[in-house]
Amino acid sequence: MEDCNALVKDNRQVARDTYLMTLACELSPFTPGQFLMLRLTGSCEPFLRRPLAILSCREGAVELLYKVKGRGTSLLAGKQKGEELSALGPLGKGFSDPRPDEEAVYIAGGTGLPPILAMAERIGRGHMIIGAYTKDDIPLWQRMQDIRGVEITAATEDGSMGMRGVATQALDDLLKKLQPPCVIYACGPAGMLKAAASLAKGFGARCEVSIEERMACGFGVCSACVVRTTTGNQRVCIQGPVFDAADIEWGQ
Amino acid sequence: MDISTRLAPGLCLKNPILSASGTFAYGEEFSRMFDLSLLGGVVTKGISLLPKEGNPTPRVCETPCGMLNAIGLENIGIDAFIAEKLPFLCTFDTEVIVNFFGTDEDEYVQMAQRLNIDGVSAIEMNVSCPNIKKGGIEFGKDPKILNRLVAQVRKSTTKPLIVKLSPMVTNIGEMALAAQEGGADALTCSNTYPAMAIDENTWKPILGNITGGLSGPAIKPIALRIVWEVSRQAAIPVIASGGATSWRDVVQFLLAGASAVEIGSFSLRDPLCFGAIIQGLIRYMQNNGLESITEIIGRLKTA
Repeated sequence: MEDCNALVKDNRQVARDTYLMTLACELSPFTPGQFLMLRLTGSCEPFLRRPLAILSCREGAVELLYKVKGRGTSLLAGKQKGEELSALGPLGKGFSDPRPDEEAVYIAGGTGLPPILAMAERIGRGHMIIGAYTKDDIPLWQRMQDIRGVEITAATEDGSMGMRGVATQALDDLLKKLQPPCVIYACGPAGMLKAAASLAKGFGARCEVSIEERMACGFGVCSACVVRTTTGNQRVCIQGPVFDAADIEWGQ
Repeated sequence: MDISTRLAPGLCLKNPILSASGTFAYGEEFSRMFDLSLLGGVVTKGISLLPKEGNPTPRVCETPCGMLNAIGLENIGIDAFIAEKLPFLCTFDTEVIVNFFGTDEDEYVQMAQRLNIDGVSAIEMNVSCPNIKKGGIEFGKDPKILNRLVAQVRKSTTKPLIVKLSPMVTNIGEMALAAQEGGADALTCSNTYPAMAIDENTWKPILGNITGGLSGPAIKPIALRIVWEVSRQAAIPVIASGGATSWRDVVQFLLAGASAVEIGSFSLRDPLCFGAIIQGLIRYMQNNGLESITEIIGRLKTA
């Protein structure tokens, strides 16, 4: 893992509050689920780096997909072509590949799309569910359609696209049509992950979840981003962000 | 040029740059990014007698030019530290300073005894964590209690003993003298400042622990003042800790009276900063014709 200079090549809005940034940056090969810690400025403001999942990385071009939620992502959205950032990574542990006999299901909600889309693009087979509040929140729809071998389903809470409802309802429907063995890859809000884990358990599917938690360092030293597991606290940034759903203590 | 610095009998750092407790874990992660041997010393995460789980999340929050943390001293405990972490740290050509805490006097004493072993260069006693209910700051608030605790620990170890003071006292000079008279070899000034953050949308505190400790460049001016005040009163060396980010900050802390400087929160943002800071200090000394950092330490011109 290194701290690399990353030059902004492109940074454009692709959905409501959602941007796709392309950086010129020499990264080591990544596994979907892994992330970068981006330093946004040379000054101490904002003080901490921002963790962003890697969407793709080929030939020195790294794609990041992010939703503007706070000060850091607002700053990021304002970055112009030619500006320089610093990127530490790839960090963390990504998703494991499906076994040849396993049917692959990818499910994303909220800001959870980047690692899920990265995984669907890498594996190139299976079923992908994207959940959002409304149609305008869904980025890169055509790109998702273009993944050969992956069938895409959208679930919107207002019914403006695909089925009306949440992503895990679509997952429930999908699982009823599938035969085990099956592996589910999930990233999104805690409630969605918990529901996906529970559906996976009921179905007898393996389930890997990518967990989000507030981080400071991103490389395992500060112990800020812990999650409770059956073997005690684990650091999301270095022991995750991808965990076997069966190892997580989901709580209330 | 001599950038070595002496902190205690038997504890001389090859340069004045240390990691800080709580931002360096046990060194393994940083060792994958740079050679720990370049540091004057490594200060480990605070260790306790038994493993500790720490506080609920969220445990950190960014603030203007700094951050809050309320990790709650999560650590693997002394047994696992000695078995799994210490041997690794000993493979580097750097001083290993083990930060520790207890929930009562007996635990502090036991910890000091357990750490009186080969491979430990010195111990840093934490009497100032704002984020735990027992064993933190209350030992560092009353000079009589602090003096007694330090004296008990002093009797239990032959290692150089560093006491990390709390900034949350009316008269930090008095606390410094209490620790010095108890037998401390050096003082770290200082720990984080109790603080908090609130989400105006949810009306809830941002940290799981409600309050946390403020660190980073935001506190550097206060840390400078504390280092200056303590080093004027105490006869023992002072280690600065509080918001340093650059060789300039290091020079300022040395001028204020520090003999060494810990780099904490900033290394979370820039894990490779240590080498650049040491190189910057060397260049500064070259440019100013300084042969030894003793020519800087405490040389603030106030007249």
